[in-house]
Amino acid sequence: MIALESVAARRRPLSLAGVSVAWGPGVHAVLGAREDGGALLLALVAGAARPRSGRVTVLDGAATAPGVRARVAMVLLDPVLPDALRVDETMALAADIRGEPARDPAERLRALGIEALAARPVRSLSPPEARAVAVTEAVTSSRVRVLLVEEPLLSMDPRAAALLPERLRARAADGCAVVVLTTSPRDAAEIADDHVLLRRGAVSARVTSIDALTDGSPGGARIRVVAHDARDARMLVAALAREDGVEGVAQDGASVVARGRDAVSLARTVGRAAVGASLDVTEMHVEPLRDGEASGLEAPR
Amino acid sequence: MIPALARLPVARLLRTPRTWIAAGAWYALAIGMAVLMRRRAASHGADDVLVEACGALVLPLVAYTLAGAALGARSVAASTAAVAAFGASRVRAAAATVGVGVTASAIAGGLLAATVAIVAHGAADPPVARDALVSGYVGALGGAAYAAWFSLGAGFGGRGGGRLVALLVDWVLGAGGGTTALFAPRAHLRNLLGGAPPVDLSQRASAMALGVLAVACALGAVGRARA
Repeated sequence: MIALESVAARRRPLSLAGVSVAWGPGVHAVLGAREDGGALLLALVAGAARPRSGRVTVLDGAATAPGVRARVAMVLLDPVLPDALRVDETMALAADIRGEPARDPAERLRALGIEALAARPVRSLSPPEARAVAVTEAVTSSRVRVLLVEEPLLSMDPRAAALLPERLRARAADGCAVVVLTTSPRDAAEIADDHVLLRRGAVSARVTSIDALTDGSPGGARIRVVAHDARDARMLVAALAREDGVEGVAQDGASVVARGRDAVSLARTVGRAAVGASLDVTEMHVEPLRDGEASGLEAPR
Repeated sequence: MIPALARLPVARLLRTPRTWIAAGAWYALAIGMAVLMRRRAASHGADDVLVEACGALVLPLVAYTLAGAALGARSVAASTAAVAAFGASRVRAAAATVGVGVTASAIAGGLLAATVAIVAHGAADPPVARDALVSGYVGALGGAAYAAWFSLGAGFGGRGGGRLVALLVDWVLGAGGGTTALFAPRAHLRNLLGGAPPVDLSQRASAMALGVLAVACALGAVGRARA
């Protein structure tokens, strides 16, 4: 249904390199931020951007083909709706353009509980309401076979947000490919069947369980702990050296940096070590771990 | 497909009060000057108002307002983004948008010129009915050419700021009678309304030039939808 083969693309400041992914009917999550190239990936599938190299196939055709584009709906964080129309007129216009039979717009809006917006001018909608209208148009269209939704539960009208996961899964069960782009593992786990981790323009992992994705983070996790003073920090380093699950530890004045396989178990371990050594911890936070940085920490034993 | 795609620019035109206030103000200025000329009993009242006020100032500004309103005060590409999101061809959407702006401007220009010709009619002007008819035709042609000209301008600049540049270029180029004036609607419209021709061009040639300018600029504007 959707296939990207060795796709490279660039739309400043975003870029994608060597992305190959195939999606059939179902709900699929792309975990990553816009800066990781997620929005560009959606734009490629929607035919709104062209790859520099590689091939993008959607519904057995080129993503940019007119017959394909009418069957693909993309809802970004800042959707563009026809500014001078009312919501019901917008739904009717979309139906005409997509070439689907006319239906009562209020009935379509009711699918996500926003029928009260039918008579409102689009200009008067708040951003969450506008997103709700855009996603309702996509979800209720009989012609749309591919739905691309950025952050489905973020900045979304609460009435629509409550019903959206169920509606997206219903469309997937109906044979549609639904791709959600999100930075939230929780939203991805709630909505999607499988997950692709997009990192700096490349697919770094592809799993069916969100837990596997966190556990399998290739760089592991790093936590910085700020102790009361350098003496306490030295004691914490000694305590962490006795803990399993700490793969590396380093001290910098009153700060201790510990590295482990995943953030949750590492945080538990650090907490246990600090309590065991009767140390006061001023601050503790997870730090992003860049590729190749892990070697900078010494093994505790 | 085109009628569906025309719904949005038509709604922008009809539902933006600012458009009607601005266009109405320019109309009022032209009609006011026509009335003044009538009271003075000027022998060439219609000619004077059509050339000096209508063609040189009011008609371009009315077309500027209407073309901008049809585009939603955006660039050509941005004005089609909403319908393109539903799968519409950007080129078709731009054609519908530019078409609505050109049509509205042609109607407004025709009505404006015909009304001014009637109100400011002087003793030495051609018979009033014929003058109104010819002025209406010239106003419509000028309005269409100007709307296409400004639509092409709106193809450039982040928010279609090229529209303002197009207005200034027309005023600068069209003010003279040299070769460069041939590329500005202003010079041809002035010639058709009875003013000084650019490089001694006949009125028939100026009418053809306006038509060519209108078509070329409209095609150029539609092409900018891909930008």
